[in-house]
Order: sequence, then structure tokens, then C-alpha cells
Amino acid sequence: MRKTLWRRELRADAWRYPGEDGTGEPVLTLAGLLQAAAEGRLARTGVGVSLGPTDNVELLAPLVERLALIVVQFEKSGDGRGFSQAQLLRQRVGYGGELRAGGAVSRDHLFLLARCGFDAFDLDPGEDLEAARAQLERYSVAYQGAADTLVHPRRREEFAA
Amino acid sequence: MVRVYQYEAFDRTFVNERVAEFRDQTRRFLAGELSEDEFRPLRLRNGLYIQTHAPMLRVAIPYGMLSSTQLRMLAHIARHYDRDYGHFSTRQNIQFNWPKLEQVPDILAELATVDMHAIQTSGNCIRNITTDHLAGVAADELEDPRPWCELIRQWSTLHPEFNYLPRKFKIAVTGAASDRAVSAVHDIGVHLVRGPDGVNGFEILCGGGLGRMPIIGKRIREWLPAAELLAYLEAILRVYNSHGRRDNIHRARIKVLVKSLGVAEFARQVEREYAANRAFAPQVSAAQIARLRASFTPPPYQLLSDGDPTPGAGAAFVAWYRHNTRAHKVSGYRAVFVSLKKHGEAPGDMTSGQMLGLADLADRHSFGEVRVTHDQNLVLADVPQHTLAALHRSLAELGLATPNIGTLTDMIACPGLDFCSLANAGTIGVARQIHAQFDDFDYLYDLGEIQVKMSGCMNACGHHHVGHIGILGVDKRGEEWYQITLGGSASGEVRLGEVIGPSVPKAQVAATLERIVEVYLERRHDADESFLQTVRRLGLAPFKERVYAQDAVAA
Repeated sequence: MRKTLWRRELRADAWRYPGEDGTGEPVLTLAGLLQAAAEGRLARTGVGVSLGPTDNVELLAPLVERLALIVVQFEKSGDGRGFSQAQLLRQRVGYGGELRAGGAVSRDHLFLLARCGFDAFDLDPGEDLEAARAQLERYSVAYQGAADTLVHPRRREEFAA
Repeated sequence: MVRVYQYEAFDRTFVNERVAEFRDQTRRFLAGELSEDEFRPLRLRNGLYIQTHAPMLRVAIPYGMLSSTQLRMLAHIARHYDRDYGHFSTRQNIQFNWPKLEQVPDILAELATVDMHAIQTSGNCIRNITTDHLAGVAADELEDPRPWCELIRQWSTLHPEFNYLPRKFKIAVTGAASDRAVSAVHDIGVHLVRGPDGVNGFEILCGGGLGRMPIIGKRIREWLPAAELLAYLEAILRVYNSHGRRDNIHRARIKVLVKSLGVAEFARQVEREYAANRAFAPQVSAAQIARLRASFTPPPYQLLSDGDPTPGAGAAFVAWYRHNTRAHKVSGYRAVFVSLKKHGEAPGDMTSGQMLGLADLADRHSFGEVRVTHDQNLVLADVPQHTLAALHRSLAELGLATPNIGTLTDMIACPGLDFCSLANAGTIGVARQIHAQFDDFDYLYDLGEIQVKMSGCMNACGHHHVGHIGILGVDKRGEEWYQITLGGSASGEVRLGEVIGPSVPKAQVAATLERIVEVYLERRHDADESFLQTVRRLGLAPFKERVYAQDAVAA
């Protein structure tokens, strides 16, 4: 059972990631999703997709209204590509649904991940939930703008767009 | 008011929250809740390395600017948490070589009381922004680069998207005709330039760097409007973060990406990202840059006139004045170099007593401000000429008046094998050897300007590629050998030096340099032809011939 922090709460996961067994709603790979769309068999709503670090997120732009979950998979803790993918999904692609950090997600990255637009996090089974929540409140201020859908650090007046 | 960036409650809140975070992370590491692998990237982003003997803490000195109050705090840290000294680095930062891991959160908390930190002084993120150590006082300056440095510092500090880059990332900014920040060997070089309408904007270089694959940065933008600076930097960083190699640490710097794509294609990708991101990219507002400029207004200079203080003065003062002071754009003032290259001492090292003494001298003579240069000296930038004699006496008492700025013994050296776990070579010992060989100051002055730069390994922290004489420590079957390059230069037209031949054994480094400068003395047109000019005119051949002559060193 995956331990997913959605916003600030633990949530039971109804999704089945690519390669996983079970009964949950399947999450597609990007290639699978694009193929289904090309063949006209992609559901109109409620679609989940899982992205690897080299996937081009801008390909999702025409399909964004159909998506209910995007999981950005971190193959290694601290792979910075996922941070850029998240910002692009929120800002350029205009995705407003659940954006989850999956794979090697460390508690210490949660604040920066949240700033980039993630609002859900697959935690280690042994992770301390309270500590993970607290990390989302680690900084009350920030020097620069970002997607910031879950956390809202104060910025300097003249920095605010 | 001292001309360092003036913190507000906002900045202090941020730094204090950072200290609290690192205190928690250190506690978890010591309690076994974080493994070494998990803790490493976290501690590195707070300047903490685990070195050969002990942890090393690198404290940020943003673009090299320090107040006397901050320098006193560094002295306090050196005295109470370390072995009574610190080491100034080529990124204008300071390193403490002997802190205790469990005390580092306390050190950071103490630093925070004087608006200092160690954030992003290491790790694969945007490092300390560096600039011209004569910013604001140089006559050849178009515009003071420091407000722009501070702008980039704030933007890059804990930037959520760019904290986990493929590799470290270094940005230098200059606003003067002469590049004293070595910007062409940075990941990004930012140059203030006058634009078509007489308005200042930026020229952007990208993909420079030293290390294993030294490359001069290439211009990717001829002119960028000033308000667009951060938007354009974001575009560069996003292209790099998305496409820079992560599979091989030696191929991960942006220079490899620029080289593999080709400059034109890299620039095209940056421009595409820049254009696509307009709706979200930060714009530099007039209010924002005005607020930053307010921290760097000129100090309250007195109305003084220029005069030559050397007639009738003692020989020691005259030598110091000639070599360790520079012209100032305001009449009646000089910029004074404080030499951290006393013969026999490790280049860049300073004791807590010297720091405290210099802090007092900065208050007395230079508006309470001290600067760190990338070649490991300090500068008092605004000294009235009529107090130079008194300042010289005081600096001499502190052992900080060695009149060797710009000479062969004013060399850069990384900490080397004595401290650094990456090094192959004991650079500090070699520095001592060179100091001993070239201890005759009249001889040094006759040799004129020679920049010697020494690194203990391929990572090139000592900038050896751009030394007039570069020295690189290499390991050969467990022994220290040294590879010599000639003809590099870090300013004017930046060039990489060429290797003269097989490396020489440790004991022969100073003697090899002696042979090289003998060729220069014999072959220069006259004393006005510098070492570098002579090397460029002659090429390597005569130097090689002398160094590897039969009676010379065994290669």
C-alpha cells in the first residue's frame, strides 16, 4: 500500500502505476497515453499518467482537460528534471489536477517540490507523517516566484508580479 | 552604513528558517535517522564538506563584500570553533577547515546574527555570485555590478526549480571594461554593456569553465534589456536542468551541453524557452533594482585632491604603495590590496587576530568595508591617500603588507592535499617552496607582473589554466608531480595556458619556474615587455628547451 500525502493529508490510493498489479485505476505511461489518444480510445476524463525524467511534458497540453493525475517519477532522489517538469505542467501546460511526486522522494525536498507545483507526494513507508507535514511549512518567505499551488511563502512586495 | 546588502526582516526570517532546517537535519544525521548518502546533498547546500581530517565549512561572502562587523564574526568563528584561522577561496568565500560537525548549526546561527550564511556554497546548485573586486571604485566601470549580483543572489537562493542541477553552477558579473571577475570561465558570464539606445543592458556568455575540460565561454546574447536578466537566466537554467547530462559527473557541467549541441543550437533552445515562458518569467522592476542599488550608494567621500605620497617616504612604504595600491575613480583616494600571500604562509589564509586587526583598520580607513578578491587577497577599496602611510604601518604590524601584489609570489593556490580529499598534491608546500626561491623582492619587481595559479587536482579550484604560469598537481604512482602550463590569462583576452611538457617532481617546481623566468629575462625586448607578452611572442619552444635541457629536471 502506497503512503501518499495528498495536500496535507494521508490518502488511500486508488491508482495502479505502470507495471503494478492490483485492481486500481491504471496509470498510463506517456507513450501509452499518446497512443490511446491517437487511436481515439482515451477516456474523456479521469485519466492518470506517469512521467519519467526525460518525458516532454508539453506533449500533454492538448490532453490536459482529460487528466486527473500526473505522477512525476523520481528515479533518483534529487533529480532536478522533475522540478522543471512540474513547473512547466502548472505554468505552461496549465494542468490543475493532482500532481504527484513519485519514486525517490525525500522529506527534505517537500517544500521545494511543493513550490514547483506538486501537491501530492509518495512517501517512504517509514516516513514520519507529522515531520513531512511540518516540512511543507519550513519556510514562510521566498525570494522568487514559482507555481506554488500548495504552499504560499510570502514574497517581497516588489517581487510580486 | 556599510556597503554590503542591507538585510531586512524578510531576509533575516529566511536565513533563520534555513538555520533551523539544517539544525534539524544535522540532528537526524547524528541520530542515525539520515544516512550519509541522504545527508550529503543537504549538508553540501549548507557549505559543509567532509574533508581529509575534519569537516570543512565554506561560508558565503556574496560577491566578496564584507562589513567589518562580519569580518569580526569570521574571526570569532575561527577562534571559537576552529583553529584560529580561515582560508579565503577563489570564489571570494571563506573556508574553515576544522569545525566540529555537531557545532555547525551553532556556527550558522552565529553567522545569521550578522546577516551571513553558507547557503549554496557547495552542491549541484547555483553557487556564490562573484564579481569585480574593484566594483564601484574602478575608473573603467560602466555601472556598479553589485546590485545586479544581489538580484541574482536573491533569485538563485533556494530557487525551487534549480536546486538540483546536473552539476554546480557558477555565475560572474562584471560592469567594467577590464574583466576582473574571470567571467569567461564561468557557467554564465554576465557583462553590463551599453545598448543601442545608450541604455545599459547585458551581454551574456555561457558554457565557460575550468576543471577537466577547460573552455572559454561563448556569447549567446549580444544585448539583453536589463529588466529581462532573470527571465533570460531562467531560460538558460531550465534548458540546462532539463537536458544537461546526469549520467556522468565529468560530463555534467553546462559547458558539455553547449559543446555537444553547438553554441548556435544551444542559444536557439534558450531563446525558444525564453520566448515561451514570457507569461511566467520574472521581470526586474524599477522599484526592485532601485531598492538594491540603495545598498551600494557611494560612501560619503571627502573632497580631497590627488597627490603622490611617495616623495621622501621610506623604501618599504614606496614599494607597498607601488605594488599594493591602485587608482580610484574619486580623487584623493586609493584602493588598497591586503596581501594574504606573505612568504612562507599558505596563500589565502588569515588568522583571527589579523581579521580583528583588519576590521578595525577598515573602520578607520575605508568606511568599514572589506572585499575578497578571487585571487585570495583582500581589498580596502576607499582609502584616503593621506592616511596611506598610517595604514601601511598598521598592516605591516599585522603581517598583511607584503608588497607582492601582481608579482610571481602573489599566487593562487587551492588548499591541496593538506585539507582537501580530492587533491593529488600538497599545494601549500609547493607555495612555500616558490616563496623561498623567489624571496628577493627586487628580483620579483624586475620580473614584473606574473600570475601563478596552482591547483592540487583537475578540478582546477586554483584556476591553473588561466595562470600566466599554471601549476597542476598530478598523481603518478602515489607520488606528487606537477604539470606546468604557460600563456594562460584570466583578464583582457582570456586564454587557456598550454602544457609545456612532462610534469616535474615536487622538489623541482620552484627550480622549473626559475628556468622559465630566466628565459623571459634573457629574451624580453625590454622591461616593458611583460612575461605574458613575451611568452605569447616566443611560443613555448624556448621555455621547453630550457626546462627540459639535459642538466635540468628529470622528466
